[in-house]
Amino acid sequence: MNWLVRFGIYTLEALFVVGWSGTAIVLLLTGIEDVETLVEKDEPPQA
Amino acid sequence: MPSSPQDTGQVSNRVRIVVATSVMLTFISFWRAAAIILNDLGSSAFYAGGIAEQAVGKSAPWFVLAVMLFSFGVRAVYVESCSMFVRGGVYRVVKEALGGTLAKLSVSALMFDYVLTGPISGVSAGQYIAGLINETFLFADAHGWIPRAVHVIFHGTPQVSENWTAVVFALLVTLYYWWQNTKGIEESSEKALRIMQITTVMVVLLLAWSGITLLQTGFHLPPLPTLSNLHFSTEALGFWKDSRIAYHFAILAIIIGFGHSVLAMSGEESLAQVYRELAHPKLKNLKRTAIVIGVYSFVFTGIVSLLAVMLVPDAVRIPVYKDNLIAGLAMSMVGPLVLRLAFRAFVVVVGFLILSGAVNTAIVGSNGVLNRVSEDGVLADWFRHPHRKYGTTHRIINLVVGLQIFTILVSKGDVYVLGEAYAFGVIWSFVFKSVSMLVLRFKYKGERTWKVPPNLKIGKTEIPIGLASVAMVLVATAVVNLFTKSVATVSGIVFSLGLFTIFTVSERVNRRKHAQFQQQMKEQFQLLQSDTVERAGLGIRPGNVLVTVRDYNTLSHLKWVLEHTDTKEQDIVVMTARVSQFGSAAYGLSTEQVFSDYEQQLFTRAVSVAESFGKRVSLLVVPARDVWSAIVQTAINLESSAVVSGLSSKMTSQEQAFQLGRTWEETSEPKRQFVLQVVHPDGQVDTFRIGPHTPTMKPEDIHLVHRLWLNITREQGLENLHHHDILTEALTRFAHDYAGRDQKEILHDLRRVSRASPSAPALDSSAGTQAVRSLPADEDEPISSNKDEGPSSSPIVGP
Repeated sequence: MNWLVRFGIYTLEALFVVGWSGTAIVLLLTGIEDVETLVEKDEPPQA
Repeated sequence: MPSSPQDTGQVSNRVRIVVATSVMLTFISFWRAAAIILNDLGSSAFYAGGIAEQAVGKSAPWFVLAVMLFSFGVRAVYVESCSMFVRGGVYRVVKEALGGTLAKLSVSALMFDYVLTGPISGVSAGQYIAGLINETFLFADAHGWIPRAVHVIFHGTPQVSENWTAVVFALLVTLYYWWQNTKGIEESSEKALRIMQITTVMVVLLLAWSGITLLQTGFHLPPLPTLSNLHFSTEALGFWKDSRIAYHFAILAIIIGFGHSVLAMSGEESLAQVYRELAHPKLKNLKRTAIVIGVYSFVFTGIVSLLAVMLVPDAVRIPVYKDNLIAGLAMSMVGPLVLRLAFRAFVVVVGFLILSGAVNTAIVGSNGVLNRVSEDGVLADWFRHPHRKYGTTHRIINLVVGLQIFTILVSKGDVYVLGEAYAFGVIWSFVFKSVSMLVLRFKYKGERTWKVPPNLKIGKTEIPIGLASVAMVLVATAVVNLFTKSVATVSGIVFSLGLFTIFTVSERVNRRKHAQFQQQMKEQFQLLQSDTVERAGLGIRPGNVLVTVRDYNTLSHLKWVLEHTDTKEQDIVVMTARVSQFGSAAYGLSTEQVFSDYEQQLFTRAVSVAESFGKRVSLLVVPARDVWSAIVQTAINLESSAVVSGLSSKMTSQEQAFQLGRTWEETSEPKRQFVLQVVHPDGQVDTFRIGPHTPTMKPEDIHLVHRLWLNITREQGLENLHHHDILTEALTRFAHDYAGRDQKEILHDLRRVSRASPSAPALDSSAGTQAVRSLPADEDEPISSNKDEGPSSSPIVGP
């Protein structure tokens, strides 16, 4: 297999793995925020 | 207040036109917004699992679950974009970040997504129906209910071709919605909510019954997505089908599997499109909408795909139920066959509703997007020409539906091929969106009330870790998809480049045309841009007459108003609404986008009519998603006493009044009453009061009240009683009785009274008669008046 193809595949794999690790943190943080959003009550609109 | 960037000085011979640039919307709750999005997003549950398993084997549900989990991250990107731009769709965001060329390319990918949503949904619904028909025939045959003669004709149990039945069904549904959209159906969040309620009943039953089945039969989870468990089909490897590359790299194999399941999260773009219409508090409601659709689609698409692999036997799951997996799930439950067949029929009904809704969403969405780019000068004005009878952008609708019909026929009812191609549009529009958002983190300095977490601050630089992570996953998946989805890559690139070329050529042609148009505009009209519609902006007095116009060939109602109105006493405002649907409401509009050459022609004609009467009119263009709410909002904002319209070509004057009355009821306070006058081509005028008003009383009722008043005022201490006190007491007692046990009796009496009443005069009125109606409440007795009376001259005072 040509080194360029290999390099391309490793790059894509790295992007995917690093991306998913970061996304896991996004899911965790937004999940916590989502619970707060659901619990929070609306303030009445300003007149 | 309106402002004119280049025309601060008045030019006497030019007509002033106020162009409102904010779309007039009725706001919706987050539940309704979620229902609209889920009608698109949730529909993929019916086919995503089957397509993924055909591509990667039995481990597919893990990929679908991963996609549904990842969709929370994609949704976070959309929430951030909406916190920056109220209309934060792909086109706007990409244009802002990466410029017009890439924006056109991103819209082309999005259009590919939209154009394919229709065929895949229609074909999938058809597959479910055909599957049910065949199963029913088998059931009937097993019970000996099929006559021998039928057996002979079909050489056994009658069976329909699932693919061709799906093609026919998809064509019928597409043609049905083509006609509905040509006529201009209203987008109804109510309808979306109802469909989602029925779908929820099905999902709950499905989960509960699956739970019971699993408890009784035991269960095995699908194999984990390891390299040894992944079995890619030849089609799933696309350009790599002759290579072993997918089996040499474990993570690459996972990316391939993920890429084949990505269509499960199609429909996220709708989030940006409904954001504008969300009620206060907007951002919080957007987050709530995102949570609802996230959890719902995770359970529906993700868990149901998992259950299908756990419950439907391997022998039939792909061979029999690959295109109607939920039907297969229904048939694999424990319990009597009749009950399972009945539940399958329910699944088919729900599938029919939600998937047909998605066919409509596809037409509405692509019409909205093409309208938007057309308004931006990227697509020739020819496409935006309103339908002569219905006023809709029929040429765009024809183009989209034509492409969809072509796709349905080419696919020959194969859901897998459609799904593979569909994923191209889904993933590339997400890639454009997330990369643009990443660029905007460094480029855009405006307000941003929410950011995708986490963000690492080093000195003055903020590193958007969360946003970059989501973008990285999307880019890696999209690039791998280019190699593994050969059909999608070829068709997607051909389609996107084709559309991109049309956009680029149209833009060049339009630029030249636009310069000429601007010159003509400068000579004839003075455009004043305004965010909102206000009386001061138009320089008019309260109690004015609002005349709605659309077709420059039918302005007889404007002539009638001009003939009957003394403009020294009462101002006339000629208004036209530029209807935009969900899609285009999501984008910013500039004056030139709202005021096209069609509006110029329309107003040129209106002004020449007014000049022929020697009277002055004010001109107004409002963009609107719903024409009725635009009229009601404008009449309220301008404090108009009357709205005058021509008779619609598709509804009666009563129906026009009913629509307007219903919209008035839905409009939030403060609001005021007005009169609607519908002028028929023969000069007959029907008049309706919009909003609550004093009912017209019959003489005998007046006499009755008077007699009662005479009797009661003879009583001691009641000498000062008024007539209205008697009415108040009577109505209070009536309301009390109606709320209590006499309701049935009251309704019975009212029905008798209603039957005995003479027919409504407006229905059979002769020329010169005006029928005054209260709508949408029950009709009052008519007040007859002369047609020469003209529009209502004073504001109607509320009760």
